[in-house]
Amino acid sequence: MRKLLLLIGLLCLVGIAQAQEKFTINGYIRDASNGEELIGVTVYVKETQSGVISNSYGFYSLTLPKGTYHIEYSFIGLETQEKLIELDKDISMNVELTEIATELSEVVVTGEREDEQVVRIQMSKNELDIAQVKKLPALFGEPDIIKTIQMMPGVISAGEGTSSFFVRGGSADQNLILIDEAPVYDPSHLFGLFSVFNADVIKDSELYKGGIPARFGGRLSSILDIRTKDGNNKEFGGEAGIGLLASSLMLEGPIKKEESSFIVSARRSYVDLFLKAANQDNLVYFYDVNAKVNWRANNKNRFFIAAYMGRDDFSFGDDFGFDWGNKTATFRWNHLFNDKLFSNTSLIASRFDYGLGSTSESDGFDWSSNLTEYSFKQDQSYFFSPNLSMDFGYHVTYRQFSPGIIEPEEGSIFKRTELQKEYALDHALYAGFEQQVTDRLSFQYGARLSVFQSMGEQMVYEYADVSNNIEPIRIDSTYYDSFENIKTYVNLEPRFAARYILNESTSLKASYNRMVQNTHLISSGTVPLPFNTWAPSSVYLRPQMADQFAVGYFKNLENNKYELSAEAYYKDIQNVTDFADNARIFFNKDLVTEYRQGSSEAYGVELMVQKKKGDLTGFVSYTWSKATRLVPEVNQGREFYANHDRRNSLNVVATYDYNDKWSFGGNFTYGTGRPITLPAGSYEYGDGYIPDIITERNGFRLRDFHRMDLSATLTPRKNVGKKYETSWVFSLYNAYSRKNPFSVYTRVQMDDDDNIIGDGTQKEARLIYLFPVLPSITYNISF
Amino acid sequence: MKALVKNILALGLFIGLFSCEETITIDTSSTDNKVVIEGLVTNVQGQSYVKLSRNRNFYDAGSTARITDAEVSVTTSSGEQIVFVHNPDGDADKEGYYYPNANFAGSIGSSYTLNVEVEGVSYTATDELLPVTTIDSLAVRVDPDQLAEPEEPGRYYAVFMYAKEPQDRVDYYLFKFYRNGELVLDWPTDVYVFDDETLGESIDDVEIAEYYKEGDQVKVEMYSLSRQGFIFYSDLATLLNNDGGMFSPPPANPRNNLSNGALGFFQVSAMNDYERTVTPDED
Repeated sequence: MRKLLLLIGLLCLVGIAQAQEKFTINGYIRDASNGEELIGVTVYVKETQSGVISNSYGFYSLTLPKGTYHIEYSFIGLETQEKLIELDKDISMNVELTEIATELSEVVVTGEREDEQVVRIQMSKNELDIAQVKKLPALFGEPDIIKTIQMMPGVISAGEGTSSFFVRGGSADQNLILIDEAPVYDPSHLFGLFSVFNADVIKDSELYKGGIPARFGGRLSSILDIRTKDGNNKEFGGEAGIGLLASSLMLEGPIKKEESSFIVSARRSYVDLFLKAANQDNLVYFYDVNAKVNWRANNKNRFFIAAYMGRDDFSFGDDFGFDWGNKTATFRWNHLFNDKLFSNTSLIASRFDYGLGSTSESDGFDWSSNLTEYSFKQDQSYFFSPNLSMDFGYHVTYRQFSPGIIEPEEGSIFKRTELQKEYALDHALYAGFEQQVTDRLSFQYGARLSVFQSMGEQMVYEYADVSNNIEPIRIDSTYYDSFENIKTYVNLEPRFAARYILNESTSLKASYNRMVQNTHLISSGTVPLPFNTWAPSSVYLRPQMADQFAVGYFKNLENNKYELSAEAYYKDIQNVTDFADNARIFFNKDLVTEYRQGSSEAYGVELMVQKKKGDLTGFVSYTWSKATRLVPEVNQGREFYANHDRRNSLNVVATYDYNDKWSFGGNFTYGTGRPITLPAGSYEYGDGYIPDIITERNGFRLRDFHRMDLSATLTPRKNVGKKYETSWVFSLYNAYSRKNPFSVYTRVQMDDDDNIIGDGTQKEARLIYLFPVLPSITYNISF
Repeated sequence: MKALVKNILALGLFIGLFSCEETITIDTSSTDNKVVIEGLVTNVQGQSYVKLSRNRNFYDAGSTARITDAEVSVTTSSGEQIVFVHNPDGDADKEGYYYPNANFAGSIGSSYTLNVEVEGVSYTATDELLPVTTIDSLAVRVDPDQLAEPEEPGRYYAVFMYAKEPQDRVDYYLFKFYRNGELVLDWPTDVYVFDDETLGESIDDVEIAEYYKEGDQVKVEMYSLSRQGFIFYSDLATLLNNDGGMFSPPPANPRNNLSNGALGFFQVSAMNDYERTVTPDED
């Protein structure tokens, strides 16, 4: 209750009286070529030397004393516009920014606000330029934003060929991955070779690693906020790509010109066709579909409906297969109550499910599991003045977890078995302020109140010893009816960030955030499998909580041509969810006995140099980091390195526009090997088994990882009169064919045909590595 | 059963499509010489034994060191003590094996406690002899894939097992398959261990490991396990089939019932077997 009062107190803070006669100018900022709303446009008032940034919906609002102002709208890659405004009444001004006319000449269109990284309060945030991602070399020629995210400072990957990423010492499930505000529970296609995000529809993506604003919550380590395009509302167009592994088609256009538009995009792999051609009866494919319509009813009301669906399907022979996929749907209504109050209402649904089945005669079964959630979100932004704005809102999410049902086939040895479903309600009430205190000093502060309820219908068992996973003994049970409250967890998450401008190109920032996570991934490997289930906080699973402190130094050089940043962070996680050694996490009705929650500590330093302008663009990032865990009963109660601990990580990402026909891209990545558990010996047991002796978890390291990828994009000269443009992307993945370690396992020594050598007592260690040098070609056409 | 194993293998298969492997030399740490105990008490005469050995370094090969001078006994729940004697026949390949008198057999429903004393340190473990269902029959059928491409000429018969799973109690099972008296596995790290949680009453037509040719003797042994035994063998299977902690959990020692940090397991089981000659079934 006291926490609630505190929050109300915070809300009241804003009742600061204002005397002078003031008016508001607001509106949407769009890209003139296709009508897409632009996120993050700097709106700068020259006279007051202050400004705002357009929000996630392209909306801005400025309240200023009566007067005449020069207002500058600037966005990287687009021509800066300046407007002279006579502000003597409230004005609604929509602005369209056009592309820079000459692509190749050195661009000097900057307003001062191209120094956004220096000026903004938010630190520990990385944006991805999707146009650049498309020019970068990619595995099998499929551009993938997650693979670029894995190269950001403070982000670590588990190795190649996975879509998991680890932010500042957090595990893979501590990232909230949103597509149009809907969470995606498993971002992987083909066990992570590709992510589920189709580059053709992505408009904007941002990764928050620290100083996370109060409007976000639910996961400990990061928020990856991906927004899709709204669709060109001026003319019909599209893109098609033909790659080695998958092809895609995107269509967009106005439904009613300038008022409503649609975009639809689909992608499908055709590995299965190759496999079929190779006379394999094992088939694999994935597909995904994105669709969105939006309607600007008027300047005060905008509506969007966005949907995503993707699926992977594997079949082995005729009788065994599995599949998994996500479905999300978002309905959004942007409403302008008045000049200063912007509101967004969202209804969101998301579902992740997987199935595993066999149709064989004797042991046919169908095993399925799913997680379904429905959210309602009400977010408001109130613009008091250019110096003070507030975001506040309420989110509520209902989740249903179905950990597993086995349905036998006719005549099967199996019987129908179902693990208990779990239900949860997650409320969040938040308020966040952005306040400019002086010309140099600004703050962002707020709090999020997280109220989590584990609910019926459920039978909750009491155990004689809940950590006894060898012989769990249930001593009592309590039945809870539908929607009956089982357990409530209330947590207040304070958020704070400050920025101090040292000079026009340099700033210092600091932030603190507390994050709480009530949805836990039940996975004990380094990389989650699509077959891992999620579980809500419950009587036996406490919320995970992270406190993170970060400081940063930001500097732009040579008229904002280069952006430098240096950040250091310290993160402390309590109740980090881990599992007992040898935990049985699949289809275990006493799963609660396998939970082991402990603490985790992570710290590191991140350096980044980024060049966003000119023919040569890209970034170099370096991260030094450390992540350890201390979990009761795991590793005999001793501290151990987290699975994703890597001391050094260096990434170089660059694209170079050579002329208007050719552009080139390159990636280089280097990382310390990930920790691994290796044996201290072995012994004989039973009928020829030679198990290893394990003495320490993650006590060894794989060898260093490094790889270079190269690409060239050819855009043949446009023919006058032609309505379409084509391009070829040539990629070389792992250019010098480094055998990068994926994992190491041990076995009894065998020859190349898997026949045991000798008497079967000699063991050996095997290094698994994934891709040698892999060339690929992708053909793209846009019209 | 084969399908179940195949299912698990299939999960790793996709990564397998793209992956390559090579043998590397790892820098393993070493550990002190630990006592390894492999104990078995069953309800069948002549089957019970205790094998005592020590661990070795990862890259050592050949037979591990045997412990031949230990004191080994098993105590029944009624207090009777059965002494196990080291290699009474003086068999060269039975070094480290301890046997009870020839007519000793466990009885269903009893508990057995193992006491082993090695160099003044005693190790104990207790396990329970639980009942096991019977194997009703084995069927033999030609496997079309093997017929087309047998690994050995004529070895294209698959064998299927029939049994009834008692639905009124909790059972755990360990299976062993033999071809002409020799233990066979589909894969060297297979452990055929199951719980009955998802099993219905009729265990019909379940394919056993490996393929057979006409005239082969095929034998299936079915052992009951306690919950502890099931946990040990499941953990053993997880460890033996670990991928190094990428998708698998980090490797860990199997949980066992032995005191004082000994490795291995003391298993007490009821055992049933079924044996037949491989001849084409008429159907």
